[in-house]
Amino acid sequence: MEQLIEQLKAQIIEALNFEDMTPADIDTDAPLFGEGLGLDSIDALELIMLMDREYGIKLADPKAGKAIFQSVRTMAEYIQANRTK
Amino acid sequence: MRIAVTGIGTVSAIGITCAQTLQSLLDEWSGIGKMYALSSNHTELPVGEVPYSDAELKDLLGINEPMPRTALLGIMAAREALRTAGMSIANSQEPIAFISGTTVGGMDLTEQHWADYQEGKAIEHIRMHEAGETTRIIAKHLSPFTSHLSPFIATPSTACSSALNAIMLGANLLRTGQAKTVLAGGAESLSKFHLNGFNTLMILDHEACRPFDADRAGLNLGEGAGYLVLEREEDALARGAKILAYIGGYANTCDAYHQTASSADGEGAYRAMKGALEMAHLNPADIDYVNAHGTATPNNDLSESVALLRLFVDHMPAVSSTKAFTGHTTSASGGLEAAICVLAMQHAFVPANLRWSKTAEGLITPVCHTEHKPLRHVLCNAFGFGGNESALILSAEGIDLSEAPLVEISKQREVEVSDDSEVSTFVSPAEARRMTPQMRRIVAAAKKAMQESGVAQPDAIVCATQWGCMLQSMRFLQDMIASDEQQLKPTPFIQSTHNTVASLIAILTGNHGYNATYSQGKQSLACALTDIRTQMALGLIRSALVLEFDEQVETWDQVLSLIGDRTENIARASIYICKKPSIYQLIESHKSQDKSLFVLRFNPEHPIFAGHFPGQPVVPGACLVQIAEDLLSDMLGHAVRFNSVTNLKFRQAITPDKEVLMTITEGKYTIEDNVSHVMYAQFAATYMCPDSDL
Repeated sequence: MEQLIEQLKAQIIEALNFEDMTPADIDTDAPLFGEGLGLDSIDALELIMLMDREYGIKLADPKAGKAIFQSVRTMAEYIQANRTK
Repeated sequence: MRIAVTGIGTVSAIGITCAQTLQSLLDEWSGIGKMYALSSNHTELPVGEVPYSDAELKDLLGINEPMPRTALLGIMAAREALRTAGMSIANSQEPIAFISGTTVGGMDLTEQHWADYQEGKAIEHIRMHEAGETTRIIAKHLSPFTSHLSPFIATPSTACSSALNAIMLGANLLRTGQAKTVLAGGAESLSKFHLNGFNTLMILDHEACRPFDADRAGLNLGEGAGYLVLEREEDALARGAKILAYIGGYANTCDAYHQTASSADGEGAYRAMKGALEMAHLNPADIDYVNAHGTATPNNDLSESVALLRLFVDHMPAVSSTKAFTGHTTSASGGLEAAICVLAMQHAFVPANLRWSKTAEGLITPVCHTEHKPLRHVLCNAFGFGGNESALILSAEGIDLSEAPLVEISKQREVEVSDDSEVSTFVSPAEARRMTPQMRRIVAAAKKAMQESGVAQPDAIVCATQWGCMLQSMRFLQDMIASDEQQLKPTPFIQSTHNTVASLIAILTGNHGYNATYSQGKQSLACALTDIRTQMALGLIRSALVLEFDEQVETWDQVLSLIGDRTENIARASIYICKKPSIYQLIESHKSQDKSLFVLRFNPEHPIFAGHFPGQPVVPGACLVQIAEDLLSDMLGHAVRFNSVTNLKFRQAITPDKEVLMTITEGKYTIEDNVSHVMYAQFAATYMCPDSDL
């Protein structure tokens, strides 16, 4: 799990263009949207695409992302339970 | 002056003539279905396609040469508009303007021939990638008046509001005497590029779309073209043309909220609709029908509903979105739907909002089936990426719009920021995250220009770009081709539209003003300056931020090198102001300070108006006209004489306190050089006391 979390942080930094950030800068349990990283709806779409591309998870409804993307941990948990690759 | 609509042309999934379009609307026949001409892997997505292949369209038009599909659709609709206008101007020497919005332009050819270009083949299509080239090609094929089109061609590219912005610029050119005949609207073909782009945003319905429905699940992409022929009423009457409708009012604002989403309070949409009503001197209750933007995405329809409810409150007119018929024709939608509004007015019906079945909190309830009723004033909305919101009012009655001679403009400041450390002082890491390096430079230049000139909130932001945002466009295009239309990232698509830069700056600076982008080759800047100069003359704006933007992209340069061309890095921001304030600017300036120029008192039993100015003593019995003349003379620094008293028009209303409220709505004045100007409205907010001592 910890390995997945670290990998996911690196993928988030790359997908969302956080140029000056390292995985250590992201708090695993901090909210991704609003406070925390301050992501928005475009980022949510990027994260959905990231899960599709890297883990073979397809989300048909963007609204479903809300619960999954609460924090890096919730996202990692969802990926572990649903990944197809 | 009154601007008459004397011709319309429509091409879309529901017809390639106005007659077919009308019949489909009345029959409630939707054109949404499986793709036929578009060759995409996403066949699961329904589209509103014009049911002819490019070869079939060329046969219909008698054209052999290569051109983008957008141009084919545009030629078809533009020719019809001229035909319905009865234009026989082969020998005309009058200035004509052709203004046609598009964003896709020749992207269909670029995506089809990308592999060819890598092998040095099919190079005759390369130049057509540019949005402005599509407009030039359409203009060239508008026989018989092609040879007279040269005076003015422009391509507004503000994503889905492009065509309405084209109509606005056209009206402004007429009002400032820069054109005698205007053909304005927009064209857009389907492309794999923007079908995949919208798909990455997850806003495409996999069934036929349901605007304003509680269970709506997104839009269907459509294609088509729509144009209006505009001319002065007196010119139309003089040549015996039939007047189909009048331009009532219009406004372009920026939501200044988000690159793709509309704000929860619908601020930009509200401002656009309100601005159009104000220009037309109409009240919300005067509007009989709203052709909504109504894309059927959860976000747009809710935000637009909020804006409509804010504006109309208890007087909600009939509302429908005809996108359930045509799909979302993106840059063409404003032109197509304005033409549909004219058809609806002529044939006295409200088009249906197909497939609506259920309401939800906050949503307006649209008209589900064709309603037959006369329509006097109709509002047409078109909103685009970047929060570019536009609204147009079409009227069955002539509505007077002010006119003005052109004014001189001056450049206050021109700024370029190339040093990366200086860029970072103007653009924070959070702001910069999604921007390409060149976008960061233009944003920094814009902020610096505003700071140095002291114009923190220019009334307009207008961008000139030959190729648009090429780095993101090329990223998306290459990913799409390499991946066979799978697993694409949304950000490059969102930032591929030409208006990305101008809207981004509005979002970052909270600027709700006029926002436009022109893509017309090397003439792009000239188009932008014509726009702001025209609006300054009319008093619609006083200051403008003008952006020149292009970005050098290696992959595209390799393609361009095949035809001996290349791209350049340009990121220049300039602040322009009007050299001399015009009467309109004085009026607008008073309005913005919430001051009235005149305070009038009116005794209903007394034949003469009397008045005074704020802070000055009442002049009993003095003639309002004289006071108005003196005041205006003083403010303008030269003698102002109204032509006659009868040219002053008033509007009155009784307040609950039985005061009579008076507003001067129109006046004609003559200045020293005997150039006659007409000024309308807005220059007096007034009150009257029937119990006054007059």
